[in-house]
Amino acid sequence: MKIDTEKSTVIFEAERVSFAYNNHQVALQDASLTVRAGERLAILGTNGCGKSTLLKILDGLYFPTSGTLRAFGEPMTEEVLLDGARAYAFRRRVGLVFQDPDVQLFSPTVWDEVTFAPLHLGLPHPEVIERAEWAMSLLDIQKLRDRVPHRLSGGEKKKVALASVLSLRPEVWLLDEPTASLDPRSQSRLLDFIWELEREGNTVITATNDLAILEEVADRVIIFSEDHQIVGEGSPQEVLSNYELLAKCNLIHEHRHKHGEIEHEHPHAHRYTHEHKHEK
Amino acid sequence: MHIPDGYLSPATAAAMYTVSLPVWYLASRKMTTRLTGRSVPLIGLFAALSFVIMMFNVPLPGGTTGHAVGSVLAAIVLGPWAASLAITVALIIQAFFFGDGGILAIGANAFNMAIAMPFVGFYLYRWLSGGAVTPSRRAIAAAVAGYLAINVGALLTAIELGIQPMLFHDAAGHALYFPYGLGMAIPAMLLGHLAVAGPVEALVTGLVVSWMQRTNPQLFETAGGVTQGATGLSRWAWTGLLSLIALTPFGLLAPGTAWGEWSREGLQQLGLGYIPEGFDQWSNLWSAPFSGYDIPALNNSTVGYLLSALAGVVLILGVIFALTWFIGRLRHRREDGRTG
Amino acid sequence: MSQIPTKAKRGRRAARGFFEKTLGHLTETLEHTLFAEEIARQDGMLQSLDPRAKLLGALALLIAISLSHSLLVIAALYILTLPLAAASRVPMGYYIKRVWVFMPFFTGIIALPALFSPFTPGEPLLTLIDLTSPRVYLAITVPGVVTAAFLLLRVGSSVSVAVLLMLTTRWVTLLKALRTLRLPQAFVLILGITYRYIYVLLHAANNMFIARRSRVMRRMSGAENRRWLAASIGTLFTKSYALSDDVYLAMQSRGFRGDSHVMGNLEWRRADWLWLTGSLVIATAALWVGR
Repeated sequence: MKIDTEKSTVIFEAERVSFAYNNHQVALQDASLTVRAGERLAILGTNGCGKSTLLKILDGLYFPTSGTLRAFGEPMTEEVLLDGARAYAFRRRVGLVFQDPDVQLFSPTVWDEVTFAPLHLGLPHPEVIERAEWAMSLLDIQKLRDRVPHRLSGGEKKKVALASVLSLRPEVWLLDEPTASLDPRSQSRLLDFIWELEREGNTVITATNDLAILEEVADRVIIFSEDHQIVGEGSPQEVLSNYELLAKCNLIHEHRHKHGEIEHEHPHAHRYTHEHKHEK
Repeated sequence: MHIPDGYLSPATAAAMYTVSLPVWYLASRKMTTRLTGRSVPLIGLFAALSFVIMMFNVPLPGGTTGHAVGSVLAAIVLGPWAASLAITVALIIQAFFFGDGGILAIGANAFNMAIAMPFVGFYLYRWLSGGAVTPSRRAIAAAVAGYLAINVGALLTAIELGIQPMLFHDAAGHALYFPYGLGMAIPAMLLGHLAVAGPVEALVTGLVVSWMQRTNPQLFETAGGVTQGATGLSRWAWTGLLSLIALTPFGLLAPGTAWGEWSREGLQQLGLGYIPEGFDQWSNLWSAPFSGYDIPALNNSTVGYLLSALAGVVLILGVIFALTWFIGRLRHRREDGRTG
Repeated sequence: MSQIPTKAKRGRRAARGFFEKTLGHLTETLEHTLFAEEIARQDGMLQSLDPRAKLLGALALLIAISLSHSLLVIAALYILTLPLAAASRVPMGYYIKRVWVFMPFFTGIIALPALFSPFTPGEPLLTLIDLTSPRVYLAITVPGVVTAAFLLLRVGSSVSVAVLLMLTTRWVTLLKALRTLRLPQAFVLILGITYRYIYVLLHAANNMFIARRSRVMRRMSGAENRRWLAASIGTLFTKSYALSDDVYLAMQSRGFRGDSHVMGNLEWRRADWLWLTGSLVIATAALWVGR
């Protein structure tokens, strides 16, 4: 349920943001974008194009080497996030789900994992417990409570990772490659989960290279080129029909193959639904 | 080099805890105050890496295998304080979960492997690598530091073990804990470490440092601050001196020194009534006799043994700490001279 | 003439030896953690105790074993751990074998020479060689046997207590216990993270070794092996370095600012008092008897 007045609220405002690792390894070049409350935004690009870096910048984990970023109307600088109260206020509103759940699961048990965020953001203990229970029941992982997170299966790990952010109840969700390395069933469950988040009015920013999920997770798509720049923007339908742009960003490639006797060529995206007709 | 429970008397174990505790305390304070939380996962990473490295059997020329500790490697990247914490954590997990090394002996094991090794190794490395422009020099410095540091660790272990029979025995003179004296423990430990574990630590430290320079050069940039060292000559002279320290026990065991009671004649004076077969060859090998005869407690020389053993321990520790301190000071002065 | 082939053979065996040994170590450790976790999860006597009580009780027993001057007392303390292990569903065979077959292999070799007269002179128990000219004398002596027995029994019993503690305590609860026992927060936090990384690294290392075993057909020289090992340790390091970076970011993202918070839900019950008092009394009694 999206309310129009909310849509006008600007959440992130990035202006020519660049970032380089160790001051020389460029990961993001002059990115400008605006994200409004309740928006469903996808950041599309190949591996290493800078979309993960952008999510980390939006989450206040990295700081732009040049350019400015404002979040909730406030400038996002290292100083702001070093201030305890302001950092807490920001972190309570924004949650990042990492691509690799192994990265995110560092606690000894699932319960510790799910309580980590509310506990560390200073919520009173009864509320921490209540939120953790709620998050676990929503993802149906109560029976994993005492398990060691890194010994779970891939799908279970992803659920725990989601629950660990869900217990924070952030209004802005940053998802890095949410469907990567998930089996089809877990994938569709995850898409349901994202859809539910969006329905409740959360802002969801999904970084992905999976063209198949674009329409399900986004109303608006931003495309990154391989040299770390934003090269296009549009609705999922517009982006998906722009073969030239997709090919340029290395998201699809010419594909030559045989169907019985017929050999032909067409643009092909890995993991993209493979549908086409043959003219006899 | 992991001492199990039962080898050390509780008194020694407690003493080693009291030595290690202040270092742990200072190290964890440094972690929480001076450094940001960033160091926590990095220290954990090195603790885990050291744990796994201790499982890697490295083949040596000649057909034997051995494993490294990784303390010096950790110290080169993290600095000695954080490396101390990392290796201590690895040792605690080994003691509690895999029974490698005793629980009461954690203080002693940590002192040998998590305190002495990284500190000695770190300052040696810094000072050997000096301005450290060439990767090969860094790798060699790391290897040399690794070699010497593990031998210092082994020497300390041997001393802790070797003083047991002199200090702790029952009324009948039976050794209650580790049964062999310094004359046996030191050569046995050092021979193994000079010949096997030392080369392995050197190989692992040197090879991994050279590998890391190629793949993660920023580690060396950020760990930086490696200042221009003393001239090559004095540096290698220092190395020689440190090697001598590592070899000190051989010197101490030579007949005619303060520990000369352990010479061939000493055996007869002690009234053992025989000289073990092959003793002459052995004594030629490292000028040290078979020991174990420092166990008869009701001997008048017990007090003498005890005093000389303690003096030896204090001497060696004193030299090591003075050296570390001195090298650190030299470095500071150089840094001051540079900025000022 | 026979020199060269023997040497080559030895080198080859060592090359395979290091490989199989390391792989064996890695696999064994991985299996061991799983096994320990499984037993610690069972509903047994020691499992139901508060980890703090268990830890303190175990320390009291360890100190008693360590301080006792009587072989009988140490043996008695060890025998006491047997019913404890049984009541905690620790498989008896495993418990005894793990300690007395595998663990003191090292200690056994160390204790062996102490049996003989050159190392521990004294009243002979069994004279092996006694020649006058040349003077050669070798005997197993009474003090030698006592000395070796002290070492073996002490090490074996201490390891048993540690094994029992480890098998019946889940890592998580032990961490909690350490935290409430006033260890510095940073320290406990590092302990927790390390345990997690060890698991990741063990898996990665295991995979590397298995992958190499299936790929490499010919024997490799010692130098090649060493290079390969250095590269694997390096790869492990690089992988885990990136991982540790991201783990830290993930922690930060969820509010971590250098200090850790936990909800203490450890419960100290009457059984814990009973256990702690019991082990203290036994330890004191053992010290008194075994003075």
